[in-house]
Amino acid sequence: MSNMEPKLEKLQHLTRRSFLESAGRFSLGAIALASLCGGAQPAAAATVLNPLAPKKPQFPPKVKRVVYLHMSGGPPHLDLFDYKPELVKWNDKPCPDEFLKGRRFAFTSGVPKLMGTPRKFAQYGKGGMWMSDAIPQLQSVADELCLIKSLNTDQFNHAPAELLLFTGSPRAGRPSMGSWVTYGLGTENENLPGFVVLISSGVQPSAGPAAWGSGFLPSVFQGVQCRSKGDPVLCVSDPPGMDRDLRRRTLDALRDLNQLQEQRLGHPETATRIAQYELAYRMQIAVPEVMDISRETPQTLAEYGAAPGEASFANNCLLARRLLQKGVRFVQLFDWGWDFHGTNEGEDIRDGLTKKCARMDRPVAALIRDLRRTGLLEDTLLVWGGEFGRTPFREGRTAASKILGRDHYPDCFTVFLSGSGVRKGIVYGETDELGFSITKDKVQVHDLQATILHLLGFDHEKLTYRFQGRDFRLTDVSGRVVTDILA
Amino acid sequence: MGEYGLFTYLMLERRHFLGRLMYRAVVRAGAYGLLVLGSVGATFGAAHPTEVDFNRDIRPILSENCLKCHGPGEEERKAKLRLDVREVAIKPAKSGSVAIVPGAPEKSELVARITATDPDDRMPPLKTGKELSRGQIELLRRWIAQGARYAVHWAYVKPQRPALPAVRHKRWPRNPIDYFVLARLEREGLAPSPRADRPTLIRRASLDLTGLPPTIAEVDQFLRDKSPDAYEHLIDRLLSQPAFGEHWARMWLDLARYADSAGYADDQPRTIWAFRDYVIRSFNANKPFDRFTLEQIAGDLLDDADDETETATAFHRNTMTNNEGGTTHEEFRNAAVIDRVNTTMSVWMGTTLACAQCHTHKYDPFTQTEYFRFFAFFNNTEDADRTDEAPVLDLSSPAEKKQRQQLEADIAKIEARLAASTNPPQGSGAKPDEQPSAKAQSSTQGAADSKADRDQLEKLKNELGAMPLNTVPVLRELTGDKRRKTFVEFRGNYLALGDEVTPAVPAVFHPLPAGALPNRLALARWLVDENNPLTSRVIANRFWEQIFGTGIVRTCEDFGTQGDPPTHPELLDWLATELVAQHWDMKKFLKLLVTSATYCQSSAVTPKLEAKDPDNLLLARGPRVRATAEVIRDQALAVSGLLSQKMYGPPVRPPQASLGLSAAFGGSLDWKTSKGEDRYRRAIYTDWRRTNPYASMATFDAPSREVCALRRPRSNTPLQALVTLNDPVYVEAAQALGARMAKAPGSDTERLTYGFRLCLARLPRPNELNRLLAFYQATKADYAAKPQLAARMVTPPDGSSLSAPAGETSALAAWTTVGNVLLNLDEMFMKP
Repeated sequence: MSNMEPKLEKLQHLTRRSFLESAGRFSLGAIALASLCGGAQPAAAATVLNPLAPKKPQFPPKVKRVVYLHMSGGPPHLDLFDYKPELVKWNDKPCPDEFLKGRRFAFTSGVPKLMGTPRKFAQYGKGGMWMSDAIPQLQSVADELCLIKSLNTDQFNHAPAELLLFTGSPRAGRPSMGSWVTYGLGTENENLPGFVVLISSGVQPSAGPAAWGSGFLPSVFQGVQCRSKGDPVLCVSDPPGMDRDLRRRTLDALRDLNQLQEQRLGHPETATRIAQYELAYRMQIAVPEVMDISRETPQTLAEYGAAPGEASFANNCLLARRLLQKGVRFVQLFDWGWDFHGTNEGEDIRDGLTKKCARMDRPVAALIRDLRRTGLLEDTLLVWGGEFGRTPFREGRTAASKILGRDHYPDCFTVFLSGSGVRKGIVYGETDELGFSITKDKVQVHDLQATILHLLGFDHEKLTYRFQGRDFRLTDVSGRVVTDILA
Repeated sequence: MGEYGLFTYLMLERRHFLGRLMYRAVVRAGAYGLLVLGSVGATFGAAHPTEVDFNRDIRPILSENCLKCHGPGEEERKAKLRLDVREVAIKPAKSGSVAIVPGAPEKSELVARITATDPDDRMPPLKTGKELSRGQIELLRRWIAQGARYAVHWAYVKPQRPALPAVRHKRWPRNPIDYFVLARLEREGLAPSPRADRPTLIRRASLDLTGLPPTIAEVDQFLRDKSPDAYEHLIDRLLSQPAFGEHWARMWLDLARYADSAGYADDQPRTIWAFRDYVIRSFNANKPFDRFTLEQIAGDLLDDADDETETATAFHRNTMTNNEGGTTHEEFRNAAVIDRVNTTMSVWMGTTLACAQCHTHKYDPFTQTEYFRFFAFFNNTEDADRTDEAPVLDLSSPAEKKQRQQLEADIAKIEARLAASTNPPQGSGAKPDEQPSAKAQSSTQGAADSKADRDQLEKLKNELGAMPLNTVPVLRELTGDKRRKTFVEFRGNYLALGDEVTPAVPAVFHPLPAGALPNRLALARWLVDENNPLTSRVIANRFWEQIFGTGIVRTCEDFGTQGDPPTHPELLDWLATELVAQHWDMKKFLKLLVTSATYCQSSAVTPKLEAKDPDNLLLARGPRVRATAEVIRDQALAVSGLLSQKMYGPPVRPPQASLGLSAAFGGSLDWKTSKGEDRYRRAIYTDWRRTNPYASMATFDAPSREVCALRRPRSNTPLQALVTLNDPVYVEAAQALGARMAKAPGSDTERLTYGFRLCLARLPRPNELNRLLAFYQATKADYAAKPQLAARMVTPPDGSSLSAPAGETSALAAWTTVGNVLLNLDEMFMKP
C-alpha cells in the first residue's frame, strides 16, 4: 500500500491538475461509488472509491472505448491497401541504389529486386478506395474506414517496433496504450477487467506482455489476458471440489473473520480486501458469461466465422464486441502470422496471404458491421494495423525461391481506423509511386497515439505520470493529433 | 498557527491536501480497489518550523514550476535565464530587469511575474498548466527578502552524522533510531504505539528477515524465553538462517533485473542462475555491501578475482539480448550498455541519470556529455548482444567437467563406430534399420551390435542432456586494439555520434579515487567511496523501505531534486553514516532496524492516528503492509508443510496453468512442471521467463524484470483473490493444510487452533474460533450430503489421492475448505 504512495500521490497530482482544474470543479464525487462492501462497512462513515471507476477525460470525447486489432509481424500493405501500379511495371528490376541508400533492412543486403504486387486491386466504396482481392469482406465496408497510408516508424525489428507502437518507446519499461487509457478513464464495468487482451494464432506478440503491461503505472492498469479456451481468466473457476454454495459459504466466513480483524486493527485496507473478494465472486460469474460466445445466434457466429471452443481470431473479434458491450474500456487483439518474408508457403503474398486474410477479413468486417448495427460504433474506436510495413522489393534471403515475400519496412505502412470520431471512407496520406517514401501527410507512431488519445478526450501532452522525477506520457517527447482525419 | 504554519497549510492545500484526500482513497484500493475516504483531519506540519530553507522550501517550487524552461537544459532555456544558478538569476537581463534582487523582492522581476495579473506576463505560463499557490508565492518573496541564499541539493552533500535529538519520553527509545522517530512524534503531539505482543513480533520479524512464517515450535520457544534479550536472540537466530539469504536476494534480484531468459521476442532461456545463487550466498555470508558492490561492478578486474567475483559480474549481464532475426547487434549491445548506466546510477545512487541520455538533464545537474563519459566505463566489455551470451564462465566442478568430457568422448566414439558400421558402402539413402548394409546383413551379430550402440548412444546423450549446465555470462574487459571508442550519441541514437569522450563521473560528485585508472573498478570504488553522498543514503533507505514498508525518502528511485524530500532527514543521515561506520555490515544494519522500539510497535491504528497520518509516515505504529508475491506463496507452502528446503541450482517450474501459446519466434510458453520436491521450492528458484512471468506471482506485483525494478507496487485486487482461492498451487496447499489439521490430535477446536497457529503464529480469539468451528461443521455436513464433491475436494490437482480414512472424506474436504479460508485471511497477506 504505502509502497505505492509516491506514484499514486503523483497520480493524484495529475488528477487534480488535469481533471479537476480543467473541469473547473472538484469532481471527487464523480468518481465516488456507493459502498460495495456489503456488510463490511468500516466503523467510520466512509465512501468507497475505485481507481478503475469511470472518470471524465480532459474534454468531451468522441469515443469512450477502443478495440485495437494488431496484426503481429507487419502485414504486406502493398498487397492489401497501398496500390502501386508503377511498381508492377518495374517488377523484377534491380532496386535503384537511391532507394537503398541510408536505409537499413532486417534480412536484405546487396541489391534486391523490385516486386510489384501480384494481387488484383480495384476501387471500392463511394470514395473509390483501392483494395486488393485478399480482403473481399473489408471491401464491402470501405465506406466505414479511415485509411491512413502514411504511417511511419523508426524501428525495423518486431519487438522494438511493437514496443514503440504500444508503449511509445522501443525499449521495455513504459506503460502500454491500454494502460494509459484505463489510467485516464477507468472502466465502466467493475465486474470485468477494464483492459482485456485476446491472442490468436497460438503465438504472443514479439513485444510480449510488455505490449499490455502497466510499466511504471500502478499494476491496476495492466491488461488482463483472457482466453477463449480453458479458464477465460486465470483461476476464475472454483476448485473441482467446491460448488457455488460452498464458495459463498467460504467467502462469508472469510468476510466475518476479516471484519473481526478490521475492528481490531482499524486498517482500511482490510475493508478493501473484503470488497475485492466480493468483486472476485461476481467476476467469477461475469467473466465466463461474457466469454461464452455460444450465447450468440448462429447467424452472428456465421457472420464472424466464429465457432465456440476455438482460440481463433474470429472468436476474439466476436468476444471484443461482447466485451465492449459490457463496458470494457480497451480491448486489445493480437493475431500472429503477418510476417510475410516468404520463407514458407504460408508467408507467400499470393496464396499464403489469401489464406491468412480469409481468417482476418471476414471477422473484422463483421465486427465493424456489428458495432455499427448495435450502435457501439457511435462511441467506439476501432484500429487495425501492424508494427511496420513491408518492402517494395523481394526479401533478400528468399529472392531465389518460388515463394514471394517482402522484408520489414518501417518508412511507410498502412493502418485503418473506424468509429464516429474519424472521417469515413477516406484515404489519408500518400506514398511515392514505388512505395519507398511518404510524399504527403506523414503520420508517425506517436501521432497515431496522440490521435487515439485525442478521440478519447485527452491532450496527449497532459495525460502524464511522474516517475523518477519526470512526467512521462505515451507519446514520449513528440506526437501531434492528425486533425485532418477527425470527423 | 504561526506564519509558517499558515504557509504550510496553504501549501498543503495546494499541493497535498486534495492529493492526499484522493490519494488515500486510491492507495487503499488496488485494481478495482475500493478505497475508503474517511474524515480528513489536519495534516501534520513541517519538519522544522524555522526560516526559509532553499533545499526544503524553495528548490521544490523552482524544480516543479520553473526549471524546465529556466534550468540546466540549454535547448529549452527561455530568455537565457537560469533560476538554478544564483549568479545568472541575480544578473541583469538585456532588458535591464533582474530576476532576483537579493533582499529586494519588490525589485525582483521573478516576483513581478509570478504575481502578474495579465496572463501574458504571468509565470509559470498558463499553457504549462502550472500555477503557484499564494503560500508558494509568499515563500519565494520571503526567501528573496532574506537574501535569496542558494544551497546544493541536500542529496549531493555528503551526510554528516547528526547528534541524537532530545526526547521527553526517555524510556521509550531502544536504539538511536527511536530518538529521531520519537522526537518527531513529540513535535507532532503524538505518542508511539504500545509494543506488539510476542506472537506478532515473531511473525513480523520472521517474515521480514527470512520471508517465512515461524513454526509453532519456534513460536513456543520464543514465548517461553523469559530472558531480557529473548527478542535479540530471536533476531540473531533469524539472521543466521539460510532462509535469510533466500529472502533478501529477492530484493536484489529485482534491482539486478535477474531473469532466466534473454528477453525480447523469442525470449530464449538463459543460464545465469549461478548469479542468483551468488546473491543468496552473499547475503547469508553477510558480505559487506562495499565488497558486494566491487564484485558485481568489477569482479573481473579485482586483484583477487576468482570464479566467485567473476560470477558476481553477471549483475550487468542480466541486460536483455535481442535474438530476433535481422537485428543489428551493435544497436542492442548499445541498449544493454545504456541499461547498465541507468541501472547502476538508480540502484546505488538513486539518481535518474537516464534523462541525460538524450539531452542535458532538465532538473538535475547532469549534461549529456557527462552521461556518455559515464557510459564509457561500461562500453568496453566483450559481450555484444550475442545469441550464445559469450563470454560465459564454466562453473562446473572438476568432477563434472571430467564427467562431461567423458560423456562427450564416449558419444563421439560410438557415433564414429555407428557411422563406420552402418554406412552402406554403396551409398543407399535408406535408414540402416530398414535396409541393412551388405556387410551387416551378413552378420546378425553386427546388427545387434549397432542396436546396442544406438541404445547406448541415446542413453549417453540423455545423461549429457540431464547434466545441469553450470555456466554464467560474465563481464570481461576488452584489451588492446579491441577496445571501443565512446562518443556522445545524439538523442541517444547510436548511429548519430558526436565528440569522442573518455570515462569520467559527473562533475557535481566527488572525483574518482586519486591515481586510479578510470575503469569499472575505479567506478565501483567511487560508488562506495566514503565521500559518495548518495550510496550510503540510498542503500540505507532501501533496507529501511523493506522493513518499514516506505522509504524515509519515499521515492527511493529518485533522490534528485524532483524526488520527495526525506520524512526524517537527520535519521536518514544517521543511518547512512552508521552503515559506513559499521563497514557496510548488512546483517548488523538490519538488526539495528528490527530491534528498534519503532519497529516493535503494535500496528493497530486508532481513528485519530488514521486521520492524522494515514500513511504512517511518522511511524507512530508498527509497519503493516502486504507481503511480496514470493512471501505469500512461500508462506502458503510453509504452513501446509509442502515447502522444500532445498537450496540453489537450476530454476524450477512449479505448476501453472497452460496458455497454449508460444513466444514470438520461440518455444511454447507452457512448461513441463518440475517433479518431486522441485514443485515446492521457494519462489526465488522459480524459472523467471520475462515474457511469461509466473502468473500467480505477477498477479501479486512481481515484475517482469525486463528492466531494473526499483520499487514494487502493493496492489489489492480481485484477481489476487482468484489466485489464492482457486490456483491449483493454493488448492493443494489448502488440502495439505487441511490434512495437517485433520490428523492433529484432540477436538475440532484444538485442531482449528493448531491450523490457525500454523498460519498466523497467534492463538485464535474466541469469536474467531467460534466462527471457524461453525464454518467447519456446516461445511462438513454439506460435504456429507455431496460425497462426490467431497471426493474431488480432497483430490490433489496432480490427480494423486490424499489418504482419507474411510468415511472421513467429508471431514477432510471440510478441513480443506478451512485451509482455503485460513490461507485467504487478510492477516495472511499482511505482515502483522
